[in-house]
Amino acid sequence: MPITQPLLPPDLARQLERLELVTRKVFRGRMKGERRSAKKGQSVEFADYRNYVAGDDLRSLDWNLYARLDKLIVKLFLEEEDLHFYTLIDASPSMAFGDPTKLEYAKQLAAALGFIGLIRTDRVKVESLGGLQSPVLRGRRGVSRLLGFLDTVEPNETVSLEAGVRQFCLRNHGKGIVVLLTDLMDKAGYESAMRYLVAQRMDVYVIQILSGAEIDPDVAGDLRLVDCEDGDAAEVTISAPLIARYKETLASFTAGAQEFCGRRGMNYLLTSTERPVEELMATWLRKRGLVR
Amino acid sequence: MNELFRNTLSPTQWAVLAAVPPAILALYFLKLKRVPLEVPSTYLWRKSIEDLRVNSLWQRLRQSLLLLLQLLAVALAILALLRPGWQGTELTGGRLIFLVDNSASMSTTDASADDGVSEGDRARLAVAKEKVLGLIDQMDRGMTAMIVSYAGEPNVVQQFTDNTRLLRERLATIEPTIGTTDLKGALDLAGGLANPAQVTVQEGAPEVDVVPAEPATLFIFSDGRFGDVQDFALGNLDPIYVPLGSGKTNNLAITALETRRSESELGQLQAFVQAANYGAEPVDAIVEVRRGERLVDARRLSIPAGETAGATLAIGEANSAAGEGALEARLSRETLEGANDRLEVDDVAFAAINDNKASRVLLVTSGNIAVEQALTTGRVDRLGEVTIEPPAFLDSQDYETRAAAATYDLVIFDRCVPKEAPRANTAYIGVLPPGEAWRQRDAEDAPVAAESVTVPQIIDWNRSHPLLANVELGNFDIVETMLLTPPPGAATLIDAAEGPVAAIAARDGYEDLVLGFPILIEVDGALQRNTDWINRHSFPTFWLNVLEYFVARQAVGERSLRPGEAIELRPLSPASETISVTSPSGREETLRRRGEQPFVYRMTDEVGVYHLAEGGRETRRFAVNLFDPAESDVRLRTDETPDDAQAAAVASIKIGNINVAATAGAAPARHELWRVLLVGMLGLLVLEWYVYHRRVYI
Repeated sequence: MPITQPLLPPDLARQLERLELVTRKVFRGRMKGERRSAKKGQSVEFADYRNYVAGDDLRSLDWNLYARLDKLIVKLFLEEEDLHFYTLIDASPSMAFGDPTKLEYAKQLAAALGFIGLIRTDRVKVESLGGLQSPVLRGRRGVSRLLGFLDTVEPNETVSLEAGVRQFCLRNHGKGIVVLLTDLMDKAGYESAMRYLVAQRMDVYVIQILSGAEIDPDVAGDLRLVDCEDGDAAEVTISAPLIARYKETLASFTAGAQEFCGRRGMNYLLTSTERPVEELMATWLRKRGLVR
Repeated sequence: MNELFRNTLSPTQWAVLAAVPPAILALYFLKLKRVPLEVPSTYLWRKSIEDLRVNSLWQRLRQSLLLLLQLLAVALAILALLRPGWQGTELTGGRLIFLVDNSASMSTTDASADDGVSEGDRARLAVAKEKVLGLIDQMDRGMTAMIVSYAGEPNVVQQFTDNTRLLRERLATIEPTIGTTDLKGALDLAGGLANPAQVTVQEGAPEVDVVPAEPATLFIFSDGRFGDVQDFALGNLDPIYVPLGSGKTNNLAITALETRRSESELGQLQAFVQAANYGAEPVDAIVEVRRGERLVDARRLSIPAGETAGATLAIGEANSAAGEGALEARLSRETLEGANDRLEVDDVAFAAINDNKASRVLLVTSGNIAVEQALTTGRVDRLGEVTIEPPAFLDSQDYETRAAAATYDLVIFDRCVPKEAPRANTAYIGVLPPGEAWRQRDAEDAPVAAESVTVPQIIDWNRSHPLLANVELGNFDIVETMLLTPPPGAATLIDAAEGPVAAIAARDGYEDLVLGFPILIEVDGALQRNTDWINRHSFPTFWLNVLEYFVARQAVGERSLRPGEAIELRPLSPASETISVTSPSGREETLRRRGEQPFVYRMTDEVGVYHLAEGGRETRRFAVNLFDPAESDVRLRTDETPDDAQAAAVASIKIGNINVAATAGAAPARHELWRVLLVGMLGLLVLEWYVYHRRVYI
């Protein structure tokens, strides 16, 4: 699939350098990172005092306080940690629609988010529902590898949303942020897939990507609509009420997804491929708190 | 045609038409070929369709809205083809002939389309055309129609055709004329065209139809202002007379306008104007007389109902200044409004005033001092230009050209005879004109020389003749004279005891004056008097009369032409190849002639003064006027029922031996609905397109 636009244009990268990924949940990271952790640990930033209990590292005793108060007080420092940031891309054939295609859009989004993570030295990993996965990337040097991996993702995976998410959850049980980039168009429903993510107790962002033609169909006449994934055909005569009905259905579908996600502490975002990624990063995701 | 529907299609065409609604239905219910379109997911579409299918009956109705609209449109089209309508005229027979009167009286604005005899305010011709149009619209398939307009001459506007569009187009070209009504000519034309097969095989034998003649219905649209048509057999023509106009329409007309030289004042002109009142009330009419642009006089004429009144008024110098060559008499606007005049063309009359300078007189003599002197008086000078030539001139080419071209108004031959009479009025002194008319023949049919007498006793002269006006002839003697034998129809001017010695006779539109006695005679090479008339006052007076009679009368008091009448125009210069005539409306026509013939102008179809120009210079004028009581009396002809004028029925017209009764209010146009239906159908089509395109549903 030709990529009409670099996944991460320099302008966007410059803009993204000022951002960082945020999570409302505090997770234990594996390596020391740039992220403050709930864990008190070794850093230069003072956090608190507490009474010494047996077993504490003597190096952290505040000897000045002991001299003044004759009590053993341990000085606690804030620990800075890294963050697990997963991006899960739906690469089913239905993602090949739109201009730019939904998959391309998802890749751009994944690249942008991954870039933020990488420059903040978070652990960034990108996977597709079909099981393609990038190595765990860290640091600015990972950017080129991230982009290289994204280029290899093609819209030809026929795995269902539920199966893909389950496999993902089985592979990654660490905590962190997971951003699911999908169109949610699975006839089996998205709910069971979401439940897996909830059970993972991750900070979940579901970004539903729809093409402009899906949100506001510009078709007319008597048509035989063929599903690109399962070949299912629907004969329709396009009429104003049908279009209105379609829009109603779409609205209730997205509203349902939003409600489903909201109840389960997941963040849901609906975006169109016609909305520039830059705008989405600068306003929407910022407002929703994924980036800062 | 009073039924509600009229068939316009043949059975085959109906069959094709009947197949249209089933075809629409079939097309509609046949499975549509749907265009395949790949979409990311049919998930949402399926849900949407399922939602819509909930109330499917209602939905189906919505779906078929287009179908219903289409069927309705087709139904309207079919209904339009049935031509629904009401009221109308029964048209029978396969052939129709419309005779449309477009004579002057048809311009009267007293007709109304609703009913032929009630008074309206539209021109009769316009209403007639409307009625014909209505009839053309009602023609069935296979019917043919012909349109003939008739005024002075019948004119086939359109030959038999079933092309109603052509008929309509040609009908619109009928223009009102100022001609008179000649129904006979139109009937002859229509009859001849309708039944061309009628031939008379043998003199006196009845007409034999070689081909069985088809009957034709003859619609005569007229106001009945013409006499009964004699000598016309309708044959298988079925006449219907549709009268137009009203029997009570008033009209004032100027029926005469003449100019002449004033008898009491030298060089002055008088005009005589006569107006007629064709209304039922006496009218005080004001007639305004203009010469050129200048108002010369206005007279009040009291005209009793149905009568005429005239007046003579002075109109100034005979020699007209520039732009004064046209005299116009017009009924004043107040008069016309007061009298409720409905015909315009006869409210004005014109007369042409021509200058005398244009007249040319040729005196051919070997020397006649007396006549030459008599023709050099001041008054004669004003009348025309006198040229004197010797007899040898008669043999010249120049003379022949001019004589044939009618250059001269008067040629006086003194003791000499041309080889043949010129195209001019002539006066012969002491000789007989060429030709046989004035010569007597004996029993063997040999010419007899005119008898001569000496010293005749003049016993009488024709005092009433203009040539001898104010002339006393009893006081002179004649030495020798011929005795004349004037041709039939001639007027003897001077009678001697032995026989006539002077006479005047007509010849091909000219007149020949012959004096049997010469004035001077040549004796031994010297001129001697033959009469002592030259010493009397009456001598120059006589010659002045001659010029007045031949030259001035022609120049001034020329009779006005009737519309359509041809006029022979003589050029001033025999060499002129072309002259141009400008009509009152400014239409200019250049006339050419063959050889030495006079020019002939026929386009006298406008009322007014026509101007004649020769070599770029205006030389002559002539006037065309309606002056036709039959046309000016615009009342629709009614039967004589003096008791109750209101109930007076429209008179029938008589063609041959058949009375064609007026069918009052006849030939109503059918009120048709098909236009409305077609417009409705187009509206439905637009609605259908809108519904389809905008995806509108109930």
